[in-house]
Amino acid sequence: MDKAEFMEKAAQHIIDANEQAAVKLAQEYLDEGLDPVEMIEKGLSEGIRKLGDLFDRGEVFLPHLIIASEAMTAAVKVLEQAMPADQVGKKLAKVVIGTVEGDVHDIGKGIVATMLRVYGFEVIDLGRDVPIATFVEKAKEADADVVGSSALMTTTQVGQKALEQALKDAGIRDKLTTMVGGAATTEHWAAKIGATFWAENAGDTVMKLKEIFS
Amino acid sequence: MAKYLTRRGDGALIEMTSEEIMSDLEAGTADAADKGKIAPLSKDDLDILLDIFTNPTRFVSVEPGNEVVVTHDIGTLRVMGDQGNSGVGIPLSRVQGIQVHERAFCADTMELGHIDYSFKPVKPVIAMEQQEMENALLVTILPLFYGAMPNLGLYYSPDGPFGNPSDLLPAGKIQESYEAQEGAVEHAIRDMVYVCERLAEVGCDGINFDTTGAAGDTDFKATLHAVEHLKKNTDMCIEVGMAGEFVLGMHGGLEYEGQQLAGLYCHDQVKLVEQAGADIFGPVVNTKPSKNMPWNVARAVTFVKACVEASNIPIHVNMGMGVGGSPIFETPPIDSVSRASKAMVEIAKVDGL
Repeated sequence: MDKAEFMEKAAQHIIDANEQAAVKLAQEYLDEGLDPVEMIEKGLSEGIRKLGDLFDRGEVFLPHLIIASEAMTAAVKVLEQAMPADQVGKKLAKVVIGTVEGDVHDIGKGIVATMLRVYGFEVIDLGRDVPIATFVEKAKEADADVVGSSALMTTTQVGQKALEQALKDAGIRDKLTTMVGGAATTEHWAAKIGATFWAENAGDTVMKLKEIFS
Repeated sequence: MAKYLTRRGDGALIEMTSEEIMSDLEAGTADAADKGKIAPLSKDDLDILLDIFTNPTRFVSVEPGNEVVVTHDIGTLRVMGDQGNSGVGIPLSRVQGIQVHERAFCADTMELGHIDYSFKPVKPVIAMEQQEMENALLVTILPLFYGAMPNLGLYYSPDGPFGNPSDLLPAGKIQESYEAQEGAVEHAIRDMVYVCERLAEVGCDGINFDTTGAAGDTDFKATLHAVEHLKKNTDMCIEVGMAGEFVLGMHGGLEYEGQQLAGLYCHDQVKLVEQAGADIFGPVVNTKPSKNMPWNVARAVTFVKACVEASNIPIHVNMGMGVGGSPIFETPPIDSVSRASKAMVEIAKVDGL
């Protein structure tokens, strides 16, 4: 099998959420003495990217995405055996994420958290109805790189503005990337409150964060 | 070049040229056609939409003879609620709210709804809801529905007996998530049937299953089974209104009559709703706040037009805050709601709003 075939099969195994096949292929690839980082970047990650597109189009669903992310994790674990120690387990960035206080809408934010994990971010998901003070406290405690907040309702999105101010008051806003999302929000809202960026959905969030942290 | 006032999806006033409006209309219908695998709007339809958006009057309407049925979900609470829940803060009882909608706002049908607006919390107070329904029926003549959400979210922790899929899925507990969702479906069917049968006992004219699918495919499945049971055992009219144009696959494997529920768009949702026995379908297309109104309206009309064409039952499309092309704004401006509504009536050919 040549390298291109390895990449194509790796992507397909992830799309199929076939952990066993992905792990077996990763081992065969290593046995050929090929570069493990290349398979992660051009094979497995390509599979996850295609899967993300299928998810956005409603052609695969959340459980499939989770199983595929487990297949990716298992295959990466095999490839890491041949990687330099400083690259093993390396995360792109640490993200603290939650739905703002007063808002119990959790599904969209949960999908964003899952997609970020799949793409190699460390995610601390605070859940829903999260007080502003908790966002600040956890961001400091975890030494986060990113703070993301979700609001589905116009009545709760003001919490995102309060969060920006609270991060400033705590003296940590300047070192953070902040992102806002949720049905009631727009890029204009993000600009108005001083958030780093607005993301429309999980795929958009991943793309924008990868631009910053890759 | 002339510019026309319109709005962004978040309600902000903007100005666009007719070329910009047409470009948005084309992109909006293309997005719906691509996602739903349905036909885009024709050139004639897009021209009608352009006329609607370049009409300089503050609000628009349909020609005489083209009027459609107009009703309101949870309208009784919208009068007395405060701005926090899109209300206007006028202290009226629920029955008075229904009367105002019937006699002052000319609503063709109305519904009674509890402040929690979900079937599960209504169950322990059903005797009070029966009494309120009976009182309302005695002082009104319009067809009176009872409205509530299936809201399967209330059956998961911390509000219900089952584990929360939003916690279980990220933890990789796929099987546990399936079991929790399937358990929630059974509980929800039982509660919805119980509440609706008690309301039928006091003469309730109909049930509005509102925001169906909000918790994904489980929500939709529970509703379809409840509808099926109620049509066999009561003579109430049943409306199923949705939460979005697309059924989210929180479970992904649930089926109704052999059809997978996750991933269905309006034109396929209606076929199952009809099969379950419902009398009216309320499709919902959610507004994208970052896109402009022409884009959102063209997209929503494309989805709903395909739904009307696929349906054998009346289509009462959801129009209002954040749905049907209207902006996400507590009280959607009349310029937007009237334009989106006219488009739904004249292009999508809906039966009601």
